[in-house]
Amino acid sequence: MAFKSLSKSEKAYIQASLQSNSSLRGDGRSLQEYRTISLETGVAPLANGSARLNIGKNDAEAGGGTEILAAVKLEVEDIEHGERVDQGRVTCSVSCSPAAYPLASSGGLDDLQHDYSTFLDDILSHPSITPANLGIVRGKKAWLLALDLVVLSDSGNVYDAMFMAARAAIWDTKVPRTRSVEYRAQKKQEGDMDVDEEKQSGLDTRQVKAATDFELEDYWDEGIPLVGREAWPICVTLNLLSSLHFLDATSQEEAATPLRLLLVYSVASKSTPALQGMQLLGSGEVDVAQIKKLIQDGEKHASQLLAAINLKLRDEEVRLTDKARLKFASVR
Amino acid sequence: MQITFTSFPSQSGLRSAYASATKHATEDDEDAYMDVEPFDDFESDSSRLTCPGETLTSAQSFMRGHGTYVDNDDVISSVAGTVERVNKLITVRALRTRYNPEVGDLVIGRITEVQPRRWKVDANSRQDAVLMLSSVNLPGGVQRRKLESDELQMRNFFEEGDLLVAEVQAFFSDGAMSLHTRSLKYGKLRNGQLVTVPPILVRRLKSHFFSLPSGVDLILGLNGYIWVSKHVKESEREGEEGFDAEAVYSNRNDDIDDATRTAIARVTNIIRILAAHSVPLTDVVLLEAYEWAVEQDADVKGLLQEDVSDALVAAVTSG
Repeated sequence: MAFKSLSKSEKAYIQASLQSNSSLRGDGRSLQEYRTISLETGVAPLANGSARLNIGKNDAEAGGGTEILAAVKLEVEDIEHGERVDQGRVTCSVSCSPAAYPLASSGGLDDLQHDYSTFLDDILSHPSITPANLGIVRGKKAWLLALDLVVLSDSGNVYDAMFMAARAAIWDTKVPRTRSVEYRAQKKQEGDMDVDEEKQSGLDTRQVKAATDFELEDYWDEGIPLVGREAWPICVTLNLLSSLHFLDATSQEEAATPLRLLLVYSVASKSTPALQGMQLLGSGEVDVAQIKKLIQDGEKHASQLLAAINLKLRDEEVRLTDKARLKFASVR
Repeated sequence: MQITFTSFPSQSGLRSAYASATKHATEDDEDAYMDVEPFDDFESDSSRLTCPGETLTSAQSFMRGHGTYVDNDDVISSVAGTVERVNKLITVRALRTRYNPEVGDLVIGRITEVQPRRWKVDANSRQDAVLMLSSVNLPGGVQRRKLESDELQMRNFFEEGDLLVAEVQAFFSDGAMSLHTRSLKYGKLRNGQLVTVPPILVRRLKSHFFSLPSGVDLILGLNGYIWVSKHVKESEREGEEGFDAEAVYSNRNDDIDDATRTAIARVTNIIRILAAHSVPLTDVVLLEAYEWAVEQDADVKGLLQEDVSDALVAAVTSG
């Protein structure tokens, strides 16, 4: 919890444990180890894509862990006066449940939501990663992809959890198939009225194909997945304590570490991870040489995390398809 | 780096378990079912579980207590918990609730605020507890009156975030509890880490201080806060010969070796597992669980795995 205070001796205990030779953590993990992550996609039936993610929840426990709910909603947007003619855009917002931060004042909660939203929106709404198939009618209409996240509970490592949940929701998103519609005015010949004949020139270049609207195609599935979902970024939070760094801090560990470095990577298939964004949280300073090294370490962690999450997402996809097939069979 | 992804426990599994349970109930002898419905068997010692909205009894013959309300001449439960009766008073004690303090309880709290002549303490109760400056041990050894100089240096004793173990002394008129630390057993906590469990799982025991083999001390707060720390020998406790304020209110940890840290982490995980499986925590249970864990030679992290934790719970509850 971001607002949890620790006593000096608790902080000292955690720091000393991390820095000891065997670097042991409060729950017996090693420095580079994540807690168990639970993930489920397709949790919100009314969203175009959704996911629920929990880090560190014990199976039998009712609560606990950092829990994030992410949902994607596609809206049709007029882009006639916008700058980008053939692409939709992505917006992202985060809201925090008051239950996640019971000690926060209402103002504090708003600040926190704003911080989270700004960081995620800056990175995720960047044109370089906007999915290519969000356009509907060139120059007229496009999908606006609204990604909403809710922090249901926070026991540390919220940023990683939010990015993972966002990735899962994006992965789950299906863009409805559309077909462009063109309107053609029908010329009517009316009786004896004297009508000026429009002269058709063979050299008229104004005659561009002008699709004005669209209709939804009737198709058996819900649509097509987003193009470039593999490259959707993922965050690795390095918690820095003097010279060492560790991953997936609990809220107590977060309270005991002075600095956190958020590194956001985007990995287009098989290539090396590209740094998409970074932020340093906390009071303290790190010199450039150390940052360089941390970025390299982060790359390694990011590709491992990515491999793991992709595997899980594919599993989820299979599970959802099976579920849909069973449902279909039972209806018939 | 190690990452494990799992799925959430499936809802359908729960549902089928519930379905089979209800099916079982309907297959049961109808007479047994009828016995419960009018709710006459308060006399029997067996505790009865109830869920919100369940009709308990008629309001004409019984009085409603905590956790119930009256609607249409029926006493209805408003929480999930066990039904209790004293004469004609029906109460439901909720399963998941905040800590209900009683005088004499041993609690662990965290300072949230320093106020004039008092500290506010979070003790997992509905309201913050109060620790008066007059109810802590002041430097100087003998029990003495508080001075103005003590008021000015309250943060030297306890500051925001500090953990302390204390006893519930009395209640204020608004229901907030007043704590005291006027014993050498009580005071500031260091050399360890805190685990939080539902308060209902901590039973009242002869002593809430005890130590496990391999040098781990445990303090079970009745408010569900449990302090796991390095063992301090009886003779080396602060204040044995005279009261040493410097040591009692110190923020510095002793040197703790890796073996002890591992043991502390192991005990912490054991407590978490037992709490997740709703096993009431007593010194006997914890000792047994710890010995089981050492015997199985499971590493600290491995304890949290589902099969290991299930085996641990089975081993402890069967004995």
